Order: sequence, then C-alpha cells, then structure tokens
Amino acid sequence: MLKINNLNATIDNKSILNGLCLDINPGEVHAIMGPNGSGKSTLSNILSGKKGYEVSGEVLFEEKDLFELETEERAHKGIFLAFQYPLEIPGVNTNIFLKTSLNAVRKARGEKELDAIEFLKLVKEKSKELKFDEEKLNRQLNVGFSGGEKKKNEILQMSLLAPKLSILDETDSGLDIDALKIVADGVNTLRDKNNSFLIITHYQRLLDYIKPDFVHVLMNGKIVKSGGPDLALELEKKGYENFN
Amino acid sequence: MKEQLQKDFDNSIKNLSLSQKDIEIKKFCLDNFIDKGFPNRKEEDWKFSDLNQIIKNNIGEISFYNDQTSTNKVDTSVFVDGLEHNKIVFINGRIEKIDFEYEKKDQIEIIDQSETINEFKNSNSLSDLNNAFTNKCFKILVKKGYQLVKPLIIYHTTNSKIWSKNINLRLNFELNKDSSLKVIDLFNDTSEKNFLNIFYNFELKENAVLKNYKIDKLENKNIKYSFNNIDQDKNSISETFILSSGSNFSKNEINCNLNGVYASAFVNGVFSLSKDKHHEIRSIINHLTENTKSYQLIKSVLDESSKAVYQGKIFVNSDAQKTDGYQLSKAILLNKKSEFNAKPELEIYADDVKCSHGSASGSLNDDSIFYLMSRGLSYYQSRELLINGFLLDVVEKITDSEIKNLIKNMIGIKE
Repeated sequence: MLKINNLNATIDNKSILNGLCLDINPGEVHAIMGPNGSGKSTLSNILSGKKGYEVSGEVLFEEKDLFELETEERAHKGIFLAFQYPLEIPGVNTNIFLKTSLNAVRKARGEKELDAIEFLKLVKEKSKELKFDEEKLNRQLNVGFSGGEKKKNEILQMSLLAPKLSILDETDSGLDIDALKIVADGVNTLRDKNNSFLIITHYQRLLDYIKPDFVHVLMNGKIVKSGGPDLALELEKKGYENFN
Repeated sequence: MKEQLQKDFDNSIKNLSLSQKDIEIKKFCLDNFIDKGFPNRKEEDWKFSDLNQIIKNNIGEISFYNDQTSTNKVDTSVFVDGLEHNKIVFINGRIEKIDFEYEKKDQIEIIDQSETINEFKNSNSLSDLNNAFTNKCFKILVKKGYQLVKPLIIYHTTNSKIWSKNINLRLNFELNKDSSLKVIDLFNDTSEKNFLNIFYNFELKENAVLKNYKIDKLENKNIKYSFNNIDQDKNSISETFILSSGSNFSKNEINCNLNGVYASAFVNGVFSLSKDKHHEIRSIINHLTENTKSYQLIKSVLDESSKAVYQGKIFVNSDAQKTDGYQLSKAILLNKKSEFNAKPELEIYADDVKCSHGSASGSLNDDSIFYLMSRGLSYYQSRELLINGFLLDVVEKITDSEIKNLIKNMIGIKE
C-alpha cells in the first residue's frame, strides 16, 4: 500500500530525514517510535502533503507517486493524518467542517454526497461510539476543546472519512487512560484486512491497546531497527540510547 | 471644473422653485466648494484616500447637472425577496418612491425639506457640494412611541442613463421618544463612473433605537461617499453595520454625538475587497455626557491590490465620566499587494473612563489551510471556510436576525 524508498527531507537547509525506507501492506499496523527530533512528525507531515520541505527519494501509495498529489488529493485517495496538535479554527462550525470534509472526500471517490439529515445521523452515531460530546459538534472547530476532546475529534474525523492509511501522530500524548482506550477502540474498529495504520508514539502504552504488527525505531531521520511488538517493550526498558 | 460647476448649477437651479434666500444659500455653498474642490490628501481626514485624485483617475471629467424633471421607471426586480419591507427608491439620484405600506400612516410623517439647508457638523467640501446640488430633501419623522413593524429599505439604483456624473442625496430622520426604525441601504449600480455623495442626518430622542445597515455588495465602478450624522439623546441606541465591497471606491463616515446619558452607539463593518478597490470607514464617536457607551468592530478581507482604511476616533469630553469606548480592527491580507491602514484615535478629557483600541493584520494561517486540506477540502474551500469564520463574529453583531440572515447570505456565510 505504502512504499517509502530512500526518503530524504530538509527544511531550511536542515536535514531531517536521511534515507528512510518503509513498506506498509494492507491491513498492517506499524508503530514508529523515536526520541524527540528524530523526524517522526516530519514523516507524517510529508506523507500528508505539508508544504515547505525539500524532499528526494520515492514514496508510492497504491503504486502512485505520492509527491504528484496535492494535500487534498491524498485525503481523497485515503490518507489521513491525525494531528499531534489539532488546530483551533475560530468561526468555523465543527459540524459544517465535518460535512464539507466528508462530502469533498465522498465526491472525489465517486460516492453520493450526504444531505444534512443523513450526515447528522452518521455523525451522531460515530460520536456516540467515541463518547464524543455531541454538543461540541455545534461549537467552533476545536476552539475551547480540552486536549482529550481535540484528539477524540481527530479520531471522529478518521472514522467518518474511513481512510485506507491512517497516520496517528502522537495521538496518545495528553490523553488520560479512559480517553486512550476510546481512541484505541476507534482505531481497532476501523482495523481490517484492507486498512493500514502508522502509529507514531513516544511510549509503549498506546501499543497495549492497539497491537502493532511491526515496531520501528526512528533515529536521526532513518529507521535503525525494526521488529515485532516486543521491540516496543525492549525500548521501554532500555531507552533509545542503545540504538545510537 | 469651475465653469462646469457654474453652468450645471445654473441649470439645476432653473428647475427648482426656490426662494431667493435659498438660492443665495445654495450659491454660497457652491462658492465654498469651488474654492475648496474635492478633498485631497493634504487634509488629515483624507490622507489615506485622496478623493480628488480618485475622481480624476476613475471618472476624469465629471458633470454635476442631472435632469430630474422626468420620472424613471422603477425596476422592481431589484427589490429584496423574502423580507417584507417599506421602500424608498432613488434612481439616478431622483427620489421615485416613498412607501411605508406596512406602517400606520398617522405614525410617520414625510416632510418636504427641500427649501431648508441643514447644517452638518462636517466641514469637508462634500457637504457644500451636496447642499448646492441636492434638489429634493425629505425628513422621515417617526412619532413618539411608534416602532416600525418592518424595516425600511432605501434602494440606490443607478443605470446607464447617467454617466460620469455626480449625484447628491440627502435624507433626514427624526426618531421621537420610544420609537424605533431599521434602515437598510442597498446599492444597485449598473452605471459607471459616477460619484454618489450621500448625507443622512439622524436625530434620536430619548429611548429611540436606530439600526442602519449599509450594503454595497454588487460589483460596480462607482465612487461613493456617505456621511451619517447621528445625534443621540438619553438611553437611545444606534447600530450601524457597513458591508463595504462592491464599489471602486467608497468612504463611509459616521459622526455620532452621544448627548444624553446611557446613550450607546455600535459601529460594525466588513471590508471584502479585491482588484484595486479602495474603501474607507471613518468613525467619530463623541462621548459628550456621562455613562455613554460605544463599540466598534471592523474586519477586512483584502485580495489582489485592494486597500482598506479604518480611521476610528473616540472623543471623550471632560463631563463624560464613566464612558465605555471600545474599538478593534482586524484584517486578513490575501495578497502581497493588498493593504490595510488603521488609524485609531483616542482623545480623552475625563478621568474615569474605560477606552481601548486595537488593530491586527496578517495573512491566512498556513497551518490552518493545511489542516483543512488534509481533510479533503480544496485550497479554495479551505480559504472560504477560514474567511467566513473570520467574518462571522462581526456579522453576528447584527441584532436583527432577519437582516443578519440576509447579510449572511449575501456574504456567503453558511449556517
């Protein structure tokens, strides 16, 4: 599904990714762990199309060159990034945003756009599953939401857009145990043989709830070690230093 | 221009049956205007908008005489649908219709004041020009205790019959004790290169409520100047909302005198500009007695090489203790060539007052755009959503919900 081959990225002449390689097949869950500044967020930004990076190397998503796609086209094709810091957008009603987003994606995928009633039914259902306070849907997007609510809102968007590849950028940071379980449930519900996940995290904790198939250690812009779920436990014990 | 003015003035006087005294006054005003000409950047109030240059560049040769002897056909297609309203219709500056069909006839008086010249507390030469050339002036008087059932829409329509001309309008309003009136000014211009010069005078008695919404939305190539003078007695409220968008140039001036205790004034505005449009709002709020309040919020979205100017002055005289005065302007610049100028002025002579001002301008937040695009929205959709969100809180200040929805629809803000 996703093939990253020798990906290099620099920003303001600072090299961040240095020959990163990663293959994700349909249905797989990959976790990337790494210390601060190792390039985790840069990787997720580049995959979802953020501007401002000088990149080289190759990234294929379902055999297509990802760099030829605009940010929104990547979303249409099924790439979703749950932001580490979801933005507050004053004046934009959450419901209107969700509906515009869902219909933009549905339209691009050749599916019928939802009318207001169909949309509300769907969003209510999903909110309930995620224990996301429905009243928040009528508020301005993320404005005045707690950290946990913002993250839940990301997962709500993920479950509405039903992406093929979901990238979770430190979604677990700032979550309490209950919220963590809800977020993990949201991911696990979406998990099937077609959908893949790339989970970026500092801690092993989230991986207790979302069992990864592969764990990778990212240091200085490249993957230095890959393994199964046990690697995460090993990291938790020994820290990153041993991999340097 | 002087010869043109003299000639056009003589022509327009011919068609009016004025007393010798009124003619003298009009002549005096004309001479004043000839002497001063159009305002230019040497005058502090016009330093961001040199009207003299703007008229030269946009209109070139301008003439002042309008044949107002024959009536213009009223084009009903410009009337607003879905909102019952009273009407005043100006076509090419000629008043064609005054219709208060939804109101009690004995509660509103329409007084012909064409023969009396009103002194405006405005020293600029446009007031003189207006006095010299206005040929009909009415006063709308709302009687004590009467609150109009429906809003009044004033249609300002220009069509291809006039070109490169100056139009002068004047209306006076008197809102007596406990009365209320909502006025919407709606511009429909299909003419080009005209200069509209509009003066309104509002007199608000105790507890009176005035809401004035000025909507210049339709794309047009005219130059507009509009001056509102508002005098407010005890406990009265004035709310002014300006949607400044369609004309090539527009300057709205609001001069508000809070003469009575607990009087309050609200001035809110949106500049939504593109191309090389140049618009200005200038407000002067005079807090002249204690416990008066003013609130102003101006938001601008400026694309291409457009330019917006907000000059807001809050004056507090020494008697006006417990004044509460607030103003804020915010601008989003969508293009490197667009420009926003803000000049807040506070002049305070009392010591127990609460006054503040602020101004901020910047571009759209790239991270917000990225966030929205990563959810499948196009750049254009993301931009629209952010702009609407930015403008929403000023539109939400409109206290009349029907009119708020009308204006939201015009701007394209979805609920």
